[in-house]
Amino acid sequence: MKKLLNSLALLFVLVAANLAFAEVAVIVHPSLGVDSLTEDDVSRLFLGKAKSFPGGAQAVPINQNEGSASRDKFNEAVCKKNASQYKAYWSQLVFTGKGTPPKDGGDDAAVKSLIAANPNMIGYVDSSVVDASVKVVYKIP
Amino acid sequence: MMLIKNTHKKHGLALAVATMMLTPWALAADVNVSGFLSVGGGMVDDENSVSYDGYSEEDLTFDRNLLGLQVTGQVSEKISATAQLIARSEKDYEVTAEWAYLTWQASDNGKVRAGRLRTPLYMYSDYLDVGYSYPWISAPNEVYYLPFNNVDGVDYYVTGALGSFDTSFQAYFGSFDSEFAFEDGTEGFASLRNQMGVAATFGKDWWNFRAAYHQADLTVDIFSDDLTALVAGLAASPFASKVADITINEDKATFGQIGLNIDTGMFVAAAEHVEFEVKDTLLAKNVRDYVMVGVRVGDFLFHVTGSKADDEIVEGLADGIPASPQTQPLINGLNAAAAARDVDREVISFGTRWDVASGTALKFQVDDVDDIKGEQKVYSVALQAVF
Repeated sequence: MKKLLNSLALLFVLVAANLAFAEVAVIVHPSLGVDSLTEDDVSRLFLGKAKSFPGGAQAVPINQNEGSASRDKFNEAVCKKNASQYKAYWSQLVFTGKGTPPKDGGDDAAVKSLIAANPNMIGYVDSSVVDASVKVVYKIP
Repeated sequence: MMLIKNTHKKHGLALAVATMMLTPWALAADVNVSGFLSVGGGMVDDENSVSYDGYSEEDLTFDRNLLGLQVTGQVSEKISATAQLIARSEKDYEVTAEWAYLTWQASDNGKVRAGRLRTPLYMYSDYLDVGYSYPWISAPNEVYYLPFNNVDGVDYYVTGALGSFDTSFQAYFGSFDSEFAFEDGTEGFASLRNQMGVAATFGKDWWNFRAAYHQADLTVDIFSDDLTALVAGLAASPFASKVADITINEDKATFGQIGLNIDTGMFVAAAEHVEFEVKDTLLAKNVRDYVMVGVRVGDFLFHVTGSKADDEIVEGLADGIPASPQTQPLINGLNAAAAARDVDREVISFGTRWDVASGTALKFQVDDVDDIKGEQKVYSVALQAVF
């Protein structure tokens, strides 16, 4: 029993540490003429309510694949929806022809290389993978 | 030589397909396929009482199945084509294109669509068949009862931000022909002409308000021997001029809706009120509403819905016909015909939605029905998914 409690405690610490330290960064191509976005700006782009960056450049939001930790954190913090609410939200738009959800671009590394290669894309990755190939415009603590 | 050429062509095609599959981005940009399904059924508590929502047996029947596929193809940069194909068990899985339209992205926020569209009557009209997208197994029957779900025509849909609020506006014009059944099972055929309407929404993060108004010139043939005999009797009587007051022949139908939808993540709520009226006919004025509240606990959503049909029977159908032993059957017939189109019912529904996995929900629902014609309980279950 004590052993179980210990492992539970360890698990809790690990999960908590994971949640506490996994900072997610919203990234764009370095050439984009926008240096920072508000949470509202980002949320509007990812929920299909806006299609361009402030300033007018076309924006193509890119999700991470379902099940990724960054995706769950991003959806909860910015879109204010858990995985199933997020799915239900988009199914309301998809099946009415009123919108298409952001494409899934893979994991942290894959999304970073997509953004680095596409001036119109916006994505999010774990801050640990951020480098000079992309520009951070918003951070989820 | 021919043969070789053909082989080359096939190779070329196969190569093109393979190339497209190897570059998922290119493929994804060209054709999008999404699907939804609902598998389920139900049973009633008392076979000898009124049927409800199509259920009348005490044995569980799994006969509410639906599979839908939506295909969207990009025709050009600004134009796309969408078709939604649905197979329903009620119609022996015959595949029908319930929607098929072309979309022209007129501006960043505005689009024009032409073809067969969903009529934006209700808050959930657009995704009525996608059970996964809402809490219930199907939207409340008392409010979601009109058979005119689709329209052939054009619409304009625009979204915008008004300060920090999100708004949308939709206007359409079209026509439609459809077989349908009244709630008492009487069948009919409806033609809608000069059908038009507007729907607007206004909301912010967790709430959304919606209002809509529609009108059309409605013609309905009701397949009822009693009614046909009544109209014939009236036409042969000295009161033949009253025929126009009861038949539904290019009469103006109006439909109004207001609704509110709330989703805070933990709490959900929805309410709608609708009124449908066709003046100078035997149809009752339909006054319907529902209120739903629910709470999310982990992957579960528990909800309670109260819905009500409080129709107003058309009055004075027999006005102007002097009462006498000879006219009494006619007067009774007219009053009975008006009364037959009345629905008075209150339903309390308890339901749960369990998000079993991403894109899949299992739902249970109990409806406690209190109809002026009798009481009933309906138990139903459904597995609904999107993919």
